[in-house]
Amino acid sequence: MSSRSPTTTLDDEEEALEEEAESPVQLNAINGSFSEEIVAEGDDDFVEDQHFESNSKAESSGVNEEISYTWRNVPEIDEVERPLSPGSSGYAGEMGSTSGGDEINDDDEDNSDIREVEFDGVSGSQSQWVSGKRHADEDDASVSWRKRKKHFFILSHSGKPIYSRYGDEHKLAGFSATLQAIISFVENGGDRVNLVRAGKHQVVFLVKGPIYLVCISCTEEPYESLKGQLELLHGQMILILTKSVNRCFEKNPKFDMTSLLGGTDAVFSSLIHSFSWNPATFLHAYSCLPLACATRQAAASILQDVAGSGVLFALLMCKHKVISLVSAQKASLHPDDILLLSNFIMSSESFRTSESFSPICLPRYNPMAFLYAYVHYFDIDTYLILLTTSSDAFYHLKDCRIRIESVLLNSNVLSEVQRSLVDGGMHIEDLLVEPTSRAGAVSSHLGQPRPGVSAPGRMADGFVGGIGGPAGLWHFIYRSIYLDQYVSSEFSSPINSLRQQKRLYRAYQKLYSSMHDKGIGPHKTQFRRDENYGRSFLFYPVALRMN
Amino acid sequence: MASSGNKNINAKLVLLGDVGAGKSSLVLRFVKGQFVEFQESTIGAAFFSQTVAVNDATVKFEIWDTAGQERYHSLAPMYYRGAAAAIIVYDISNQASFDRAKKWVQELQAQGNPNMVMALAGNKSDLLDARKVESEEAQTYAQENGLFFLETSAKTAANVNEIFYEIAKRLPRLQQTPNPSGMVLVDRPAERANTASCCS
Repeated sequence: MSSRSPTTTLDDEEEALEEEAESPVQLNAINGSFSEEIVAEGDDDFVEDQHFESNSKAESSGVNEEISYTWRNVPEIDEVERPLSPGSSGYAGEMGSTSGGDEINDDDEDNSDIREVEFDGVSGSQSQWVSGKRHADEDDASVSWRKRKKHFFILSHSGKPIYSRYGDEHKLAGFSATLQAIISFVENGGDRVNLVRAGKHQVVFLVKGPIYLVCISCTEEPYESLKGQLELLHGQMILILTKSVNRCFEKNPKFDMTSLLGGTDAVFSSLIHSFSWNPATFLHAYSCLPLACATRQAAASILQDVAGSGVLFALLMCKHKVISLVSAQKASLHPDDILLLSNFIMSSESFRTSESFSPICLPRYNPMAFLYAYVHYFDIDTYLILLTTSSDAFYHLKDCRIRIESVLLNSNVLSEVQRSLVDGGMHIEDLLVEPTSRAGAVSSHLGQPRPGVSAPGRMADGFVGGIGGPAGLWHFIYRSIYLDQYVSSEFSSPINSLRQQKRLYRAYQKLYSSMHDKGIGPHKTQFRRDENYGRSFLFYPVALRMN
Repeated sequence: MASSGNKNINAKLVLLGDVGAGKSSLVLRFVKGQFVEFQESTIGAAFFSQTVAVNDATVKFEIWDTAGQERYHSLAPMYYRGAAAAIIVYDISNQASFDRAKKWVQELQAQGNPNMVMALAGNKSDLLDARKVESEEAQTYAQENGLFFLETSAKTAANVNEIFYEIAKRLPRLQQTPNPSGMVLVDRPAERANTASCCS
């Protein structure tokens, strides 16, 4: 294993995750060119073998500080890969390079023994992918159902199914009742069950008042990650219904909530899908579409104009990336709310047909109340969300949209957005070859979305100095704590296959989780080696604190 | 509320009905001439506008296509408040959707504008084999409650334009409109003024 000194890369940056991947052959060459060498043979579990306790991350904690039940008698095994025949996977060759990964079609089912699952991966577009519930014919007696690598369940405290990722909720009533029984058995003992390990499977429980959420997974993701995913799943439900749905259970404990969530299967399945490709789901940060400074300023200033007139939040987004975001007053939008809101809008085809005005709730802003969202797509990828507290504001918001649209057209923002989408995000190769020309793009990217907070192009400078050649840095994610934003490079040549990209994603996930583990603390540099397919991945989480 | 500027009338129209009755499909057929077999469920409400010429006047419909999902029922007044017209849609192959339509009629009679023009649309009339609601039954119900009734098919476009034209004809303001006075351009000038002002 080799390492570059962290200081050569991200000077003055708050926190960064980066990683390096190379084949063993390349590894030797790289060892020669860098000073440090750390041997970690057989230490595959170094990172993930941390004990899981309540996540110390500020955003996600403060909710529960319970002690987790961790039965970790079984030593962690690094994700065991089943033999993969590239042709059969449905992953091969469909992937362009995008950090966004809209095209990453299947997620945790890198499970070649269920062919039909992989069939889902064949479709090239998100709209094809998001088709609501899959495999609705299954139930807990089905062999295929039992083989799914990752299940999500939402049930009521009386054991009624509310949502299941796979299979028909109603057929899973017995299974739901079993989950409910486990939860209430432990609760009756004055305790709370958080995690059960059974061989390779983890069963993660989250209790939110009368709503129980359960994940059953053999994906080797850390407990914190899975719990965070359940939190998001609950947040998505709140976004649709608000927390006042709890009152229905107070009136009638046997209340059947499935009908209230009618037509939202696609919203949940798309969120669950994003757990396997969208770093925003575990970083609790949002990412911006790279744009020239002037372009973003043009968008920001018209949104700012509008925000003065009774609009609480104005967001201009392109797919899951923010183009510009403005909030009235001192209100601030939590990155998780942005994630859930954009997931909700993108996964609901109905928003694309026309302009819409819908009640939605931002769980992090106010879980008890609806806001009203005016949603309009300018083109197939770019959409505007105007949030207001007034249910009568439609015509006003429509006027706002017309003003915004004309400014965006006059200043070519929409065409720039399309161009940026085609160009993709930052490419490691470009950073190396043309550091100066890219540096501008990087800094405008990071500097703009929140006026007043600047992150000048240090990051790019850091790369220039720190990279020892095209084989040095292969991918990175950088998360800014102050901006609540992250930026990642596009996947480039060594990390070609969807499978590799997903492994990388999972590795980041584990790394993030362990970095925020109390046992390690955020300042420690970690190394992780992950050998699969004759390839070693080295990960360098770098946490630097700026004075 | 229907408001007349000479012979140009803006009329707010709301579509109500059960999940899957075909509200969005009717609107999309009327506004865009499109039909998709598997229309996704509407979230909240979608807004459309479409202008129709009736006799010698122009009616600009501002259409609210509401979601049929149960969770949006309590929000329906937000959309039908002030509406000049409503189309209550049911699916002729689904008895429950007809029952639900009757509830919407009751609610509109209790809460809505007394001058509201109400139409009952028995949609999916192409599904004759699967028919569960006889057209006589719906016709009788409509007459008793002062609605006008048409069986429509968004799929084949049967009676879709007709139902909107019929509503346009029945809008109260239109009947009372005084003599035509010269030529009037539609809403365009106002929109342009808007556009211009925001470029500064």
